[in-house]
Order: sequence, then structure tokens, then C-alpha cells
Amino acid sequence: MEPLSSYLVLSSALLGIGIYGLVSKRNAIRLLFSVELIVNGANINFVAFARYSSPPILSGWNIVFYSVAAAAMEATVGLALILVAFRLNGTIDVRRLNRLRG
Amino acid sequence: MPDVAFVALSVLIIGSAIFALEAKELIYGAVGLAFSLIGVAGLFILLGAEYVAMFQVSVYVGAVVVLILFTIMLVRRESGRIVEEEEPGRLGRMGAFVAGLVALAVAGAMILLVPVSPEAPELHRVLLRDIGVSLASSYSVALVILGLLIGATVIGGLTLAKIDREKRTDGTAQ
Repeated sequence: MEPLSSYLVLSSALLGIGIYGLVSKRNAIRLLFSVELIVNGANINFVAFARYSSPPILSGWNIVFYSVAAAAMEATVGLALILVAFRLNGTIDVRRLNRLRG
Repeated sequence: MPDVAFVALSVLIIGSAIFALEAKELIYGAVGLAFSLIGVAGLFILLGAEYVAMFQVSVYVGAVVVLILFTIMLVRRESGRIVEEEEPGRLGRMGAFVAGLVALAVAGAMILLVPVSPEAPELHRVLLRDIGVSLASSYSVALVILGLLIGATVIGGLTLAKIDREKRTDGTAQ
């Protein structure tokens, strides 16, 4: 069995990849990919801590259930917003969607 | 002695996550994201959480990635490429730097602050019944709120994505 720290390192790596995508990518769908990767890193942490806590607790699993459902909802609304932005502007490049810039 | 399954799953997760962000075609990127999420589900099985893994596969790979694929199909132009993504220049380097810094800081903080138990406790078989009981008893309010949220999300998504026909017949829309 792996030590807990290897799971923590893996989830931090997913967080780092997600932040890299959020900072450097211009396509709105790729930004959504990055958010999903970050959420998955958090879920790995929940399940790993639930597994390694000394009386095993079920709350980690329940929170992951809610987290996955919330991520699915976030993807639904985000993709609908991307569709609307594409219909209005003809692009989903987030650096050209600057009509509201003050 | 590192576990072979853990190493293989880590390579799968990290590799396909990077591929999802760096693939030239967005469709291939979505497929890479699906593989990364399947790898996370395998990690959940490794941690003894089979039901979470089933939920992960059915919701993420079955619903979210398919939704993303449909959206990519809808926003695709005739030319194939969706947006002209700029070459990894200053922004890419800055993103990699910031991401590496944050990931190192978070990993270091978690490893230093968490009291690491040297051995994982004995794996208890968790029945689906126990999860159901805990969802229906101590988490029942959260479950109801989640249901309301899903309903609101579906209605909101439909409202956002529907085409306004009255405006279109008037000719006021472009």
C-alpha cells in the first residue's frame, strides 16, 4: 500500500496542471478541462484521507459524491454559456470575448 | 517498494491530463480528459472506494465528457480548427511557472502539516447499504439541496442554450 503522501503529491500535480491550463490556454472548453482536472485532484484527496484515517470514515465518499455531481452541473452550465458566447460572437477564444471590458 | 498499479495509474492520469490540455485537436483533448478521469476512477478502486469509482465513471466519462464532445461538435467551424491557439510563448511559460509554484507549495504544505499514518488501516468492506443509510440520514438535507440544484441547473442550461424564435422571425436578431 502506498503512503498517503504519494496520493497528496499526485493530487497536487493535477492541481498544477489545471492551474497551468487556466493561466495559459485561450479556448473556453480547455479552461473547462482545467477546472475538471482541479476538481479531480480534490476528489483524490478526499478519498485518500477517508481511506487513511484511523477509524475509516464514510464522509469522504459522500463529499466526493456531492463534488462529482456539482462538477457535472458546473460543466452543464459552462457548456451552455460557451454555446451562447459562440452564437453571439462566433468565437470561444476567451481573449476575444472582451465586449464587457470597461 | 512502490505499487505497480499506483505508478501505472499515476502515469495514465498525469500523461492524459497533459495531453488533454496540449493536444492540437480539441476532440482528442476531450478523449484524453476521459482517460484521465478513468485513471482517477482506478485510483478510487485502489483506495477501496468502488462505488465512488462507479459514480465517477458513469457521471464524468458517461455524462460530462459526452456533453463536452457534443459542444465541440456544435461550435466547430467548417475549417475544423476551433480557435487559433497561440504558440506557447510568454503566457505559457508564466502559466507553467505559476502552476509549478502553487503545486509545490500545496504538496509541501499538505505533506508537512498532515500527520501521516505510516500504515493504512485495515480495509473495511463498505456496503452500498451503509452509504444509502448515511445519505438518507445524516446527509439528507444536502441530498435535497443537491436535487434542487440539479433541477435549477437543467432549467438554466436549457434557458441559456435555447434559440429565441420570436426574435429570429422578427429579424431583430443578427
